[in-house]
Amino acid sequence: MVSEQASPRSRHFASAGIWVLAALIVGYALVFGGYIATIVAFALIYGVFVSGLNIFMGLTAQVSFGQSAFAAIGGYTSAVLTTTYEWAPLPGMLAGIVFALLFALVIGFPTLRLKGHYLAMATLAIGLITYEIAVEWESVTQGYMGISGIPPLGIGPFEAISDRQILATLSVIVVIVAFAVTRIRKSRLGRAFAAVAGSEEAAGALGINVARYKLTSFLLAAGLASIAGSLFVHVVGYVSPEVFGMHMVVLAFTMVYIGGLGTVAGPVIGALIVSLLPELFRGMRDSQDLAYGITLILILIYAPKGLAGLAQSFDARRGK
Amino acid sequence: MDNMHLVLQSLISGISIGCVYGLIGIGFCVIYNASGIVNFAQGAFVMLGGMVTYVLIERFQMPYVVAALGAIVVTGFVGACVERLVVRPLWNRSAPMFVMILATLAAQIVIERLTYILVDDQPKTLPAFSDLPPIMLGGVAINFQSLWIMAGSVLIVVALGLFFKTTRTGKAMRAVSINAEAAALQGIPVSLMLTLAFVLSAMLGALAGILLTPTQYTAFNMGVPFAISGFIAAIIGGFGRPLGAFLGGIALGLIQAMAILGLGAGFKNVAALSLLLLFLFVRPSGLLGSTR
Repeated sequence: MVSEQASPRSRHFASAGIWVLAALIVGYALVFGGYIATIVAFALIYGVFVSGLNIFMGLTAQVSFGQSAFAAIGGYTSAVLTTTYEWAPLPGMLAGIVFALLFALVIGFPTLRLKGHYLAMATLAIGLITYEIAVEWESVTQGYMGISGIPPLGIGPFEAISDRQILATLSVIVVIVAFAVTRIRKSRLGRAFAAVAGSEEAAGALGINVARYKLTSFLLAAGLASIAGSLFVHVVGYVSPEVFGMHMVVLAFTMVYIGGLGTVAGPVIGALIVSLLPELFRGMRDSQDLAYGITLILILIYAPKGLAGLAQSFDARRGK
Repeated sequence: MDNMHLVLQSLISGISIGCVYGLIGIGFCVIYNASGIVNFAQGAFVMLGGMVTYVLIERFQMPYVVAALGAIVVTGFVGACVERLVVRPLWNRSAPMFVMILATLAAQIVIERLTYILVDDQPKTLPAFSDLPPIMLGGVAINFQSLWIMAGSVLIVVALGLFFKTTRTGKAMRAVSINAEAAALQGIPVSLMLTLAFVLSAMLGALAGILLTPTQYTAFNMGVPFAISGFIAAIIGGFGRPLGAFLGGIALGLIQAMAILGLGAGFKNVAALSLLLLFLFVRPSGLLGSTR
């Protein structure tokens, strides 16, 4: 390959630009604070959620419309443990991850045997069942009322209360997640994911345990979704079933496709852009979902690789 | 004895709503057979059936029958739009399966939101087809609308069967579903058949919505639950088998009715979704499907 001979710096020029853009947005919010900081904080939480989705869909080429289920498990575990049982946020979040992983393990075994439409529908059903349970299991979740008075994020004496503290904490988490995804992608695990993504039959023939790697990928995605759910309830201080409805799924898919499926930067920049876009059209509160839907269709048709994908192909062409 | 009547009564309403699920399930099959695509926007068609009829009656003072026919035509047109604007461009770019699913799901949301903006978010209902008291059969009251639904659904299924068996267009659509390339070589316009499948499926969905709305209500966001029920019906019947989907719908309606009796109305969706998972995990080829 000719592009291999170009220096690494020029090869990744546009891709690095994506990260710079993300850093600029977060930096702007950090400096100016206020309303924009809240928006960017949500975007970063979604960045974590979408990064998980991206591991499962982008790296492993599976499909799940039910990741909101794991965010709900994480969110509600954190909410219940920190309010009713007065746990600290961090152990609550860890408990959420454990529950989410256990659920993913139990549900993953039968679900991941499915392919195509069946996998899509089964995962969608799992997301919807979780939503229904969050609504109906009132003794724990308080139904539509939701749980309020959830304490802010914090470890020991340090609590992230101000916009800037929250933003800084979330930025650190997103950077850690992005770094972890980068490492996973380059590791043995990531190569196995890529093999499964390429062809399950071929991967199996090469001695890759397809079922196990699919499950691993699913667990990683579920864990990140659970973390995102926990972060959400601590940042907002309130949780209700609506948070984890179909809206969350569609939003996450729009983000991952705008950013670029299968890239590390894609989920983060996608989350930032999709969260900020409606702020440009303030007046259209009612038509936000409409805008997301139309944008998603257009992206799927005309730019299925997303921004980070475009940057990559730009770099590849420059390298030649 | 009263208990028995209650059970029978809910079983009958279960069958009648099951017929509607069956019709929605058939809508899935029509598109799936023509293209291998599972159209996740199917529920939007059902919602539009009831909603457009309501709007035509309330805002344009049309008579019920005219409004219903109008709704079927409008929904058929929306079906054609979904195919031309969303599915076709992706089809031409040979997009992967889950991109197609996602795009139809996005189309569902676009239709939902447009309805929300153009109409409103209030639940709507339609008057019953005939203003008659329930029929009493030995203490069991049968809602007249339930009879309309059952008779209407059977009629639609028979008509659809005849369409596929006897008409030129129907035969052409079947040929495409068996082997698209061979059909193209016979001079069948395959691409037109795909559009036609969406129109037909949308009209079926609209019919289901019109039959259903007088007994329940419809709202802009009712599409997804309808679509899921229809999908479950199609799965139970062995995906791609219209008759199987219809019977699957009735089975689902009965199970839901029993779940409501036993567990309360809150858990009817959980029951239906759990049934879906059970079938997907244990017997994805459906009750009538062969064990391939």
